[in-house]
Amino acid sequence: MSELAISIFTGTLIAATPLLLAALGELVVEKSGVLNLGIEGMMLIGAAAGFLVAVQGGGLLPAFAVAALAGAVAAALFGVLTLLFLTNQYAAGLALAIFGSGVSATLGVGFGSQPIEALAPLNLGPLADLPLLGPLLFRFDIMVYLGLALVPVTWWWLNRSRAGLVLRVVGEAPGNAHALGYNVLRIRFLAILWGGALAGLAGGYLSLAYTAIWVENMTAGRGWIALSLVVFATWRPFRVLAGAVLFGGVTILQLHGQILGLPVPSEALSAAPYVATILVLVVISQNRARMALDVPLSLGKPFRARD
Amino acid sequence: MTINRRTLLQGTAALAGTLALPRLASAEGVLKIGQVNASPAADIGWAKQHALGIEAIKAEFGDRVEVTVVDNTFLPQDAERVFREMAATGHGLIFGTSFSLGAPMQKVAPRFPDVAWEHCSGIVHLDNLATFEAKYYEGMYVAGVAAGHMTKTGKLGFIGGFPIPDIVGPGNAFLLGAQSVNPEITCNAVFLNSWFDPGKEKEAASALIAQGADVLLGMTDTGVAVQTAQEKGVFSVGYASDLISFGPDSQLTSVVLDWSKDYVGAARAVLDGTWETESAWDGLAAGVVTMAPFHEAIPAEVRAELEALVVAVGSGEVQPYAGPISDNAGNEIVPAGEVLSDGDVRGIDWLTAGMIGTLG
Repeated sequence: MSELAISIFTGTLIAATPLLLAALGELVVEKSGVLNLGIEGMMLIGAAAGFLVAVQGGGLLPAFAVAALAGAVAAALFGVLTLLFLTNQYAAGLALAIFGSGVSATLGVGFGSQPIEALAPLNLGPLADLPLLGPLLFRFDIMVYLGLALVPVTWWWLNRSRAGLVLRVVGEAPGNAHALGYNVLRIRFLAILWGGALAGLAGGYLSLAYTAIWVENMTAGRGWIALSLVVFATWRPFRVLAGAVLFGGVTILQLHGQILGLPVPSEALSAAPYVATILVLVVISQNRARMALDVPLSLGKPFRARD
Repeated sequence: MTINRRTLLQGTAALAGTLALPRLASAEGVLKIGQVNASPAADIGWAKQHALGIEAIKAEFGDRVEVTVVDNTFLPQDAERVFREMAATGHGLIFGTSFSLGAPMQKVAPRFPDVAWEHCSGIVHLDNLATFEAKYYEGMYVAGVAAGHMTKTGKLGFIGGFPIPDIVGPGNAFLLGAQSVNPEITCNAVFLNSWFDPGKEKEAASALIAQGADVLLGMTDTGVAVQTAQEKGVFSVGYASDLISFGPDSQLTSVVLDWSKDYVGAARAVLDGTWETESAWDGLAAGVVTMAPFHEAIPAEVRAELEALVVAVGSGEVQPYAGPISDNAGNEIVPAGEVLSDGDVRGIDWLTAGMIGTLG
């Protein structure tokens, strides 16, 4: 039984990792006042590009680097459109999602039947052999730890560092930031690149570590889930973590429920992760006054410097 | 929503393609053949096996045929337009390769009585609309026998896309095969409610293994179940394509679909002017269902037994759905001495005794 519990716990963290990476990236983007709806597309481009590198023998770490880079390039496209040409952010983001799914499908043609060696767990030496704690905590691949580490780092950077403060000002009152001499567009563009890189990494995690294969549209909606996690978590990194873990956990639990033969239709069980995540995040976001403080005030609004 | 929008866009682009193509070349006496697929072109799985059917036609008839393929035609309204365009631009034989394409085909076919229509996994026939389908359950039964010999825990794992007869039936046959080796064997069933979600499939496979299943069967369109079994050191059975590259040590066999007989047969009949609407439903005997090579991990005498079983199931000597069979709630489905009728096989909506799971 304890092995089953360990499998559920570790499976949960692994399932949460791509959601966490993508959502933490988007959180920074939105804190800068930009809404990028194209996470799904950037994830797919990252997944395909990373897989291409790995399948051609380029090695896994370069593959992850290329996945992040590809996500950032896709995001740059969005950045140029929305920041420079003031395209509607909603439309450009949706276009990016569709564009990414097409581009990744084209990139991946012919590679669907070729498996690769998946990213191996990090070798943590004696730690991995600890009773109980070893299999529970110390046998993940490096990306799981990276995702978890990014939670406090993102929180600290946003709330305690000067650069994070500037980013938040840009997201709340871009006019003021501009008047103070900050380059609003440059800061937003960098935030968009960061979001794209993390989305690409999240996609790469799916095709290089989670399931070491390429399948068209393999993200299967995780980009959209990451997007809604940011909103439901009221733009707070630790709540994003809670939401991602909850979603991953209920997904795994519902599968175990099906396997145990719970007398509930599989369709209802499949919907359980969505329902549970929405419910919990809505309940913990009850305080409207606090929530109003968390919403980036200029979210989705274009900024044009008047000179 | 977005997926719909995307497929719509792709469907429109694909439609533009069909409009342009036939005008390029149409020599005298050449049969134009169309194929419409609901899913994207893929390198393995259902779509790949249908692409191989078209390849077989090309190899057989060469210059006498000209082929147009349109993928990603998931929405019925797209499909209807694509089918109408194909028929209107001189295609004499048109294949639709998904159950979901049935409604648009039934709508368009009567308006083009001179065109031969072939619908894979369809159920409705018209004067010029034929159907073809494979007896997956025959292969799954044989694979189940292999699984029955190789399981140590006595627990099998089954991952299905959706709880529909084409998935539930073969899953039942898989367990019935295993139970012919050892009646105590059970099978845990998971339905993903999705065809394309490798991540969720991985989670399902891991969960099944964590609960003790040591032979996995994945009836989705990816190699994930076979790959996960390989990673965790248990066995697996593939479906649609030979997935051995995903699990060189794990795949006991795969139930491979080979539609080339249906494709070549239909093309030849149309070329000869002898095409008639019929319902083809073949399995191991006709080679529409074939077994990937049995893995060497299976003892040699069992492998010989399995080879013999392929012949026996193909000839009808061994009937996978021979009674007594009851469902997993204890209701009798097939009394002893009887065999489930073909119609009932195609409409299976029950899980056989020993299956742990629900159909909803």
